[in-house]
Amino acid sequence: MTLLAFVFLLAFLPAESASSRYLPKAAISSHVFGPRQVYGLLKGSVTVKCFYPPTSVNRHDRKYWCKESATGCTTIVSTNGFTAPGYQGRVSITDYPLAKNFQINMTGLTEADEGTYQCGVGINGRGLSHKVSLDVSEGPHVPEGAELFYVKLHSTLTVSCSFGPDYADIRKYLCKMEKSGCRNVVNSYHQFGEDYVGRVLPSFVGTSGSFSIVITQMGWEDSGLYVCGAGTYGESGESKELDVHVYEETKVPQGKPTIFGVKGSSVTFECRYEPLRRSSVKYWCKWRENGCAKIIDNSGFVSPLYEGRVAMYNNPLNNTYTIILNQLKNTDSGYYWCMTEEEKEQQSSTELKIIDGQPGLEGRKEVEAQVGSRVDLTCSYPCKYYSYQKYWCKWNNTGCILMPSSDQRQPGTDVTCDTDNKTVILSFDSVAKTDQGWYWCGVKRNGLFGETMAVHLEVTGGSGASRSLDLLDIAEPPSHADTPSHVEPPSHVEGGFIPKEKSYSDAGVRSAAASESSDPSHGPSKLVLILSPIGAVLLVLVAAFAVFKYRQMKRSDLVSVGSYRTNISMSDFESVKEYSASNNACVQESQETQMGGDEFVATAAPPESAAETKKAKRSSKEDADLAYSAFLLTSSGIAQGGPGGDSAAPDGPPSNWEGQI
Amino acid sequence: VLAGYPRNSEDEEYVLVNNKCQCVTVTSKFVPSKENPGEEILERNIRILVPLKARENISDPLSPLRTTFVYRMTELCKKCDPVEVELGGEIYQAQQSTSCDEPETCYTYNRDKCYTTTFPFRYHGEIKHVQAALTPASCYAD
Repeated sequence: MTLLAFVFLLAFLPAESASSRYLPKAAISSHVFGPRQVYGLLKGSVTVKCFYPPTSVNRHDRKYWCKESATGCTTIVSTNGFTAPGYQGRVSITDYPLAKNFQINMTGLTEADEGTYQCGVGINGRGLSHKVSLDVSEGPHVPEGAELFYVKLHSTLTVSCSFGPDYADIRKYLCKMEKSGCRNVVNSYHQFGEDYVGRVLPSFVGTSGSFSIVITQMGWEDSGLYVCGAGTYGESGESKELDVHVYEETKVPQGKPTIFGVKGSSVTFECRYEPLRRSSVKYWCKWRENGCAKIIDNSGFVSPLYEGRVAMYNNPLNNTYTIILNQLKNTDSGYYWCMTEEEKEQQSSTELKIIDGQPGLEGRKEVEAQVGSRVDLTCSYPCKYYSYQKYWCKWNNTGCILMPSSDQRQPGTDVTCDTDNKTVILSFDSVAKTDQGWYWCGVKRNGLFGETMAVHLEVTGGSGASRSLDLLDIAEPPSHADTPSHVEPPSHVEGGFIPKEKSYSDAGVRSAAASESSDPSHGPSKLVLILSPIGAVLLVLVAAFAVFKYRQMKRSDLVSVGSYRTNISMSDFESVKEYSASNNACVQESQETQMGGDEFVATAAPPESAAETKKAKRSSKEDADLAYSAFLLTSSGIAQGGPGGDSAAPDGPPSNWEGQI
Repeated sequence: VLAGYPRNSEDEEYVLVNNKCQCVTVTSKFVPSKENPGEEILERNIRILVPLKARENISDPLSPLRTTFVYRMTELCKKCDPVEVELGGEIYQAQQSTSCDEPETCYTYNRDKCYTTTFPFRYHGEIKHVQAALTPASCYAD
């Protein structure tokens, strides 16, 4: 099985290493794009739309339309004001720089107009052009050309096709034309092409036979002809052709396609929205085969599975939203999408990969405290965050609220940074039940959010108790008389003495329970699994003993104002949260599934690795070849390589190289 | 289990060199060998566009015409553009070659750069030195 897996891995290795190191030829070919074939009627007119990358030089440069001939391409019309004789008044050219295209309109078509043309930018024949073939026919019907899409590298493409209500129930598909046929991208049975998993989101819902598909992270290989249709390609149904071209404007990529997260630490995602519409709902979701599972949105919704783990921040200045996800686990790997309700073009996706490593921020992740006691939440940071802004904030559904250094609500709470020990401390002088929840310790630099660490603070009722395992510490002096008791008196107590007494008795039991979770660093669920049944048994024994003792006291008719009896009630077991914590741990274990395919994808392995295939061997030799060939070129004289022009590899040198392998 | 062939086994041509300064592109792809059609060998395509009407100094139109063009594979194949490398969860920019600081003599204009020159302009008997754009389309501010 492992052998097969290994072979499977090797099959992908050469393609992976080559594509990650070098750009495909599509990256440097002409980025002027237009229709391949245009159909016109005799005496009719035709409009050709040609796209170009909207760089400054392209927007200001000359645009031309020329007809190919034996001697080159003769200009018919250009934006410099030139119109060839014979075409006066028939042809016009208009540039739309903001729309990234220019359009040529030819009227009064004759048969002589048939032929190959070029629409281009700059100077004729320099290569920044696109070949268009014009067909003039008598008609009356003219075939429809393909729909043109001009998308920026790493951005999002949205296509929508509709075929009428007759096709509402028929299988729909989108496939890409390759040499070997039409390769499936996605179809209405939710089957995805292997290259498109995670970055394609279809929406086949609709009774009118129309559907739309969103593809993010458009790469160079995504340029080409696509076919969307209803039925089966080449066999039945209707279809429509789409011509897609990917261009690059600047060297700076739009957004990182892959983000790496260290297990246990946090990652920050950036979602870009061009003109930010404040009214629209924006949300962030995880890609699944049957849709995108919503995690958080800007109206305060947070998926229960992600409570305390995720927050969304709005940066209206640069039209972005920042999403922070912490407490990373292996199951978090996958594709995450930033979505808007409208504006399908604003949707983008990022792949998250989890790697092993050491989180930067460290501290106790689970803290329990008694109501009214003093609590310190500590967070240690490494030297790399020394110059960063550090903060503590309290997490809630709408975000993480910064804990300011002087909070009137809670006297005595302050955030201190101990420079010697590189720790940030959030202190509560007297913690209240409302302080329970998730707290994040984070770093920030230049307004950009960095790593965060989440801590869960559990506040239990009762007086400040010692954390020892002393279960029989019944005589406990009360320190806070005003702590409310949330434990209802047990049913078997008659004439309830005073609820106060119950709360003090709770303290004794609570201390026992608290001690179990006093060392959360011994996190592994196994330990908790062993301790919890033992703890339960002990508690039952203590309950029985205390009830027995109480009954004895009752019978002896003691009236005491100053004496304190602890009483153990059954409701203790319900409200102890340690069990729920350990239950979560159990559930976590059984839910953890490996995301198929991720483990097999090797991160750009060097071609010098021991790959068996011939191809890998060759490409690793390429570097050696290059050095040798450089030697050969320079030694065999400049004359050979001089006025080359458009020559393919000459026969001389390559055979020399081959002979040396 | 063997899910299939690498998707890019069909003629995927990759760019090795795209030098805009000297106008050279080198691409490579696998082709069936002439001797043994079952075998695939690596074919490298070198495309050099020699600007025959270029000046020795492209920023000075008064310099003489360039008659010598030198193309060195080692220099062309140097990868001086920084690439992104992932180390321990963080992305860094790294340069792949050493000796990248040497100035390159260009034979032709880079489309994205603005080239200007000053020339003596006689106006009303006075000679002024005026700056002129050699590549006007590239010299717009926006």
